[in-house]
Order: sequence, then structure tokens, then C-alpha cells
Amino acid sequence: MEDSSLALVVIAPVLGALVSYLVGRASPKFSGIAASLAVLVSLLNVVALWRGLDVTGPSRFILSSWLSFASVDMPLELYFDKLSAVMCLVVTGVGLLIHIYSIGYMADDESRPRFFAYLNLFVAAMLILVLGKSLPVIFIGWEGVGLCSYLLIGFWYTNTEFASAGRKAFVMNRIGDVGFIVAMAILYHSCGTLDVTLLSKPEALARIPSEMGFIAGIALFLAATGKSAQLPLFTWLPDAMAGPTPVSALIHAATMVTAGIYLMGRMYGVVELDPAVPAVILWIALATSAVAALIAISQNDIKKVLAYSTVSQLGFMFLAVGVGAYSVALFHVVTHAFFKACLFMSAGSVIHGCHHEQDMRRMGGLAKSMPLTCLSYGIATLAISGIAPLAGYFSKHAILEALSSAHNPYLHPYVGTIGLLATAIAICTAFYMTRSFILTFMGSYRGEAHPHEAPVVMTAPVLALAALSVVGGLLLNHSLLTYLAGVLPPVEHHGASGGVLAALLGSIPGIIGIGLAYALFVSLPAVRESIARATKVLHAISAGKFYIDEALQLIVIAPVNALARIVSRTLDQTVAIGFGDALGSISRVAGELTCRITTGQVSTYVLWMFGSAALLLYIFLPLR
Amino acid sequence: MEPVVSYLGVSALLFTIGGVGLCLRRNAIVLFMCVEMMLNAVNLAFVTFSKIHGNLDGQIAVFFVMVIAAAESAIGLAIILSVFRSVSSIETTDAAELKW
Amino acid sequence: MSFIEFVFAAVAIGSALGVVGFRNPLTGAFSLILHLLSVAGLYALLGAHFLAVAQVVVYAGAIMVLVLFVLMLLNLKRESGRKMGLLRGMVTVGIAGMLFVSVAGPMLSHFDNLSSVGLSEAAKASEGGVKAIGQALYGRYIVQFELSSLVLLIGVVGAVMLAKRKTVKLEPRQGGMGGE
Repeated sequence: MEDSSLALVVIAPVLGALVSYLVGRASPKFSGIAASLAVLVSLLNVVALWRGLDVTGPSRFILSSWLSFASVDMPLELYFDKLSAVMCLVVTGVGLLIHIYSIGYMADDESRPRFFAYLNLFVAAMLILVLGKSLPVIFIGWEGVGLCSYLLIGFWYTNTEFASAGRKAFVMNRIGDVGFIVAMAILYHSCGTLDVTLLSKPEALARIPSEMGFIAGIALFLAATGKSAQLPLFTWLPDAMAGPTPVSALIHAATMVTAGIYLMGRMYGVVELDPAVPAVILWIALATSAVAALIAISQNDIKKVLAYSTVSQLGFMFLAVGVGAYSVALFHVVTHAFFKACLFMSAGSVIHGCHHEQDMRRMGGLAKSMPLTCLSYGIATLAISGIAPLAGYFSKHAILEALSSAHNPYLHPYVGTIGLLATAIAICTAFYMTRSFILTFMGSYRGEAHPHEAPVVMTAPVLALAALSVVGGLLLNHSLLTYLAGVLPPVEHHGASGGVLAALLGSIPGIIGIGLAYALFVSLPAVRESIARATKVLHAISAGKFYIDEALQLIVIAPVNALARIVSRTLDQTVAIGFGDALGSISRVAGELTCRITTGQVSTYVLWMFGSAALLLYIFLPLR
Repeated sequence: MEPVVSYLGVSALLFTIGGVGLCLRRNAIVLFMCVEMMLNAVNLAFVTFSKIHGNLDGQIAVFFVMVIAAAESAIGLAIILSVFRSVSSIETTDAAELKW
Repeated sequence: MSFIEFVFAAVAIGSALGVVGFRNPLTGAFSLILHLLSVAGLYALLGAHFLAVAQVVVYAGAIMVLVLFVLMLLNLKRESGRKMGLLRGMVTVGIAGMLFVSVAGPMLSHFDNLSSVGLSEAAKASEGGVKAIGQALYGRYIVQFELSSLVLLIGVVGAVMLAKRKTVKLEPRQGGMGGE
């Protein structure tokens, strides 16, 4: 059904970007308000469309014709169905809260207008990504969010480290994009269309030859790896913490990084073509999740802890994808958006209150000075640790359940191991999150600033997200999964059955983790000391981020740089510039030689004149 | 070949000799004299043609050539004198300022 | 070709070579006078009697006198004996050859069928006596004739202006003409 309010959903933030930048030039205070209003408009339209879904079914809208020549016709078309609804609600809802939060967080920054413009642009790109009806349109949004991520990570571009972090994120995203393009090529060649609604139908999927199926699936996963920070393309996410905290909350917790999961969900037909693909996805996700959790244990920067936590949780989402439980993965996307955004924004309040201190070793005892922030962070920590009845419990539990009933022939023999590892990771998650809570809010203050609570404009959105972290799981548990069953493959789901006892059992990994952390960091410091001494090597590996960055530098970056240098020297300088120089020299030398005719000597001129006359006469006067 | 035609050969030869002199000599007055010689060769050719065609047009042409040659010699020598006054030489190699 | 024609032609060519060849420009000038006189003889042999005399009077008599005056005035020494480059000499000879061939060739090859020089109708008509020349000049070619007088005037004025010595600049206030 055609619905023009779809266009408004996307156009509102674009206009918002323009308006907030221009308004901000005159009065920076209002740029934030303008940007938030734009997102609000989008949100209201999304809600209206969502309500309309039950009545009229999915809606679509063509923004304009785009690629139309020969046998190709791919307009810029938007499509709104249940999957899009879920994603749009998260993007615009959480996005609005983060915009409001940013008004407070960026209150002292002079480049506020540029910030809000980029933020709105990002929301627009993310909405295009989620609403795209064909893969090229999704790709526009895909690239758009990559660009905005780069712009926002390197927002304070005068700092070269921050700018490099932005560039690193962009380049790693691009590597993933190769997968996207390869997948598009294969799909278009086999099926003749790139429309996602058509590509999910069995008739289209049957046209993909079997050997191509594996490649197409892996290619799509490669794209998701770049965007959603899985091995080996995840090192950009911790570095992306160089951007302002609202950016980390919006892009690297709630929305952009979930674009990979969305892509998998939309194209599940292609992903499931060859059962080897989901198996690969699962193993990589498991490895990523484990590595990230292990690194998070030793981090001292509060934002880095949250960054690695995000990578780990994304791994969890891909675990669900690996066993074909796409709606469960989406469920975790939603709950993760709630508590991770809440965590990041609370951390932002802490950083703001401690005057831009991010090292947890110089924090402590902030529960007294920042009670509201402490409350939200605490709630979110409980949620991420999977303590019932908070949101994280339900989604994690659903993932662990799905893992146990995997049908994939490659995975079936290892179900037990996978489940065990996933549970261990959950314990780890609870451990390092509790550690960060303890270090930041409990004990006594170890820093030098005078911490104070954040203003209302910042605490209100954070508390709202904390509230969602509390009730979100309860509300969405069964209903979301059945809601998405029309679009994504159905999941065997036992729901919140079993009552209180089952809930307690399910929360055990979280309780273990929290307990361990409390024991080591609060009650038994001596034990911690001895463990720390014993595990020095492990600690070094963890703190050194498993040396993955260094490995990538050696294996990938150094050879590419060397190749670039060689090409630059030989081709560029010698051939290209040399060729140009040679042409110039020819002209110059020719000129210098030719101008020697004018010797100033009359005899020379006479000779030339006579010679030419003689030659002309010789040629033109006929001799019989 | 008719005998009168050999006059044309003589004319061509004189013209060529004048041209060679123009290329080889450096003295401005000698150059001028070579030019006069070339004009004479042309005059000879005109007169021969007049003889061949049987009318006086060629000879009238020679008359006018002579008039022009006279005027030209006056001015040419005046120029040579002016140049001599500034350069103190009538060798063409000494007046070669207009070069690259 | 009769003997006398041959003699005149040979002297003309020889003296032409002399003009080009002699180092001393004065000797060259005298050689040119000889050349002009022999060419005048050739004119006479061709029936252009008026022109033959005009040649002697104007060319040999006036122009060459002027040249000699200038040569004497300049009081030249021998031409500086800078040797000419071999390349230039060869190029010149080559050009000369080409020039001769291109000038002479067409002329000589064109006129194969002609009436002989002698007392034919054509020969009679091309007798350039004073009367005949006069009739042509004041008849058909009167306009050109008048114009040629203009050319001579230009020549006179130009020569005087060019050869004049530099005069002192006139002051605007002072009356009268300065200079010569």
C-alpha cells in the first residue's frame, strides 16, 4: 500500500540536519532542539505507520526513480513491514532520547550545530537502510551510516588520534562492503532482481546455483562483520570511543552496529541457502564474543569496557543468527539497545560530571554524588548480566534456548560445547560489568575533580532507558517473537514459562558473575591481589587486546602500504609525472630549437627565403 | 631550341648568380648590387619575351622596372648610410640585434 | 647564336661572377658597370634600342655613380675575411642549382616552336625604337607613366629624409627653424 508518510520519516531528519546546522550558526542552543524535533517527527510517523500495519499490511513508497535503463529498473523505494517497524521504532525512539541527552552533554561545545546535523544525518541514513526495499537502496543507507560514523567518531578532528579512529572505522566498514557488493552481484545475476521482498521468496532463491549460495551467504556475512564488528573487523569499535559519548550510545550500541543483524534477518533466505554459512557465522560469533569479553575484563577506561561489551553482545546476536533464530536475535537487538544506550549515557554523565575523566581508576564513590546516574547504571548492569525479570534476561535466555535446539548439521554435534561456552561468556559479561560498576560508583573517590550529578536534560533520557530495561523484556518477550514470525522464520519458543523458579535458574550465570566480581573487588581484596599476580600473563594478553591490532597491522596494513609506495613511486612518479614532464620538455626543446632560426643575420634570412622560393618553384613549376 | 631562347638561359643564369651573391656576401653595398643584377636578369627575360611575342609590352615593363630600380637605389643607399652612422660598419653581421 | 651575341652574353656572365666574387666592393662595382653595359648590348641585339640606351644612361650612368659615391664616402677597407662555413656554401650551391633549374627549365622547355630571330613580322613589331616606346608609353601606359613619376618623387623625398644628419630638437617657444 502506498503511503507517503514513509517519505516523511526519512526526509524529516535530512531537513533537520540542514535546519539545525543553519539555525545553529545563528544560535547554537537551538540546533539541538531542532534536531530533536526532526527525530520526533520521524518517530510519530513511524508509530502511525506501525499502527497501520495491522490494518492495511506493509506499505511502500517510491521516493524517485533511480536506476532505470535497459532491462534494469530499481527506483528509490521504501518498504515498511513488521521487521522495519521494529527497527524504526528502536532507531527513532532511542535516537530521540539520545538527541535530548546530547543537548545537555554537548552544551559547552562550540561545534554543536555540526554535531546535531551529523546526528540527524545519521538517523536519516539508518532509516534508509532499514526501510530500503531493494539492496541498492539499503546500500545507500549502509554507506550513509558508515560515513556518518566516520564524521562523528572524528568529530573533534583537531585531535589526530580521534581522526585516525574515524578513518579506521570507515576503512574497516568498507572492507565489509566488498561483501555487500559481491552478494548483490551474485543475486542480481542469478535472480534478476535485488528487491528484498522478492528475494525472500523460494522461487527467486531456487535460481541461485548451489556453489554461489555459499559465496553469497558468506559475502553478506562479511558485510555484516564490518558493520557489526565481528572478528576480524572489530578493532575499530573500541577505537571509535574517541567520539563523543552520545555518538557511542547511538551508533555503536543501539543502531549502526545492529545493521548487520538486520541485513541477516532481511536476507535470511540467502543466508540459509547453504547450511555451512550459518555454521561459519556461529563459530566466528562465538570466538568474537569470547575474545571481546576476555579483553573487557582488564580495561580501565569505562567507555572501552562498554565498547568490548558491545562487541561481545553483538556476537551473542550472531549466535542466534547462526542457529536460524532471527527473531530472537532481533529481540536481543531491542533489549541491547535499551540497556547499552542507558549504560553509555550513564557513563557519559559520569565523564561529564568528573570533567572528562574516563579512567575508572580515578573514579569511585560516585554513588553519593550522582545517585540518579548510579541507579540507571546499576539497573542496566543487572539487565546486561541477565538477571530476571530485567530485559537482558529474557533475550539472553531465548538465545541460549535457541542454541540448545540447533538443527544445523554442522553444529548439531557441538551443541553442548556451544551452550557451555555461551554460558561462560554470560558469566564473564556479568563479571566485568559489575567490576566497572564497583570501580565507578562504590568505594571512595580516587580522583581530583569535583563530581556532580548531570542536569535533568541528561538524566531524564537515561532514566527512561533504564525503565525500558526493566520492563522491556517482560513486555516484548513473547509478543515480539510472534510479531516477527510473519516476516522471519518462526522459532520454537517456550516463552516465559516455568515461573519464578525457572527465572531464578536462568539468572544463575548472571548471579555467579556478579558474585565473583563483588567478592574480588569489594570483600576480598587480598584474594584479588594473589589472583592478579598469578594471572599476570593472561592479564597482559587481555590488556593488549589479544594483539589483534598488531597482527592486522603486520599481515594486512604493512603490505598494502608497501604496495602503495611502490606503485606511487614507479607508476605515479616515474610513468605518469615523467610522461607529463616529457611532453612538456618536447614542447620546450622544440621551441628552443625552432627559435634559433631568428639569428638576426640578414644572410640567414636571405638563405631561408631563397631556399623556400627555390623549393616552391621546383615543386610547382612543371618541367616538361 | 631557338637561339633566342638561349637568352632566357642567360637570364636564368644571371638571376641565379645574383641570388648566390645575395646569400654569400656580407657587405651591404655588394648585396645591393646583387639585387640590381637580379633585376637586370629579369629585365633581360622581359625583353626576350617581348621579342618572342612580337609586341612592346615586355619592353614597357622593363622601362618601369628601371624607374623603380632607380628610386629603390636612392632609398636603399640612404638606408645604408643611416645604418652606417649608428653601427659604423656596413657588414650585415654587425647589425644583428634582432635575434632570439 | 651569333658570335657577338655570344661575346656579350659571356661578358655579362663573367662580370656577374665578378660582382659576386671580388672581395673589394669597389672592384665589384666596376664589374657591375661592365655587366650593365654588356646587358645593354644584349638589349640592342634583341631590338630594344631605347632600352639599351636607357640602361646605359640610368643604370650605368646614374645608379652606379650613386653607388660609387656611397662607396667612396664610406671609405671601406677590405671585407673582413671571415671564412664562410662549408655547410653554408654547400647549402647555397644546392639552392642555386635548384633555383636555376626551376627558373630555366620551364622557360627553356616552353619555347620549342618559335619563329627564328630575324626579319619576320614579329621581329619588326618588337623593334623598340624611341618612337615606338614613346607611343606605347604615352598611349596605352599613360597612367602607369604618371604614377612612376610619383614613385620617383617618393624616392627623392625618402632619400633626403633618411640621409639627413640628426638635427637639434626645436624648443616650442623659440621661433624659426633649426637645423639645416
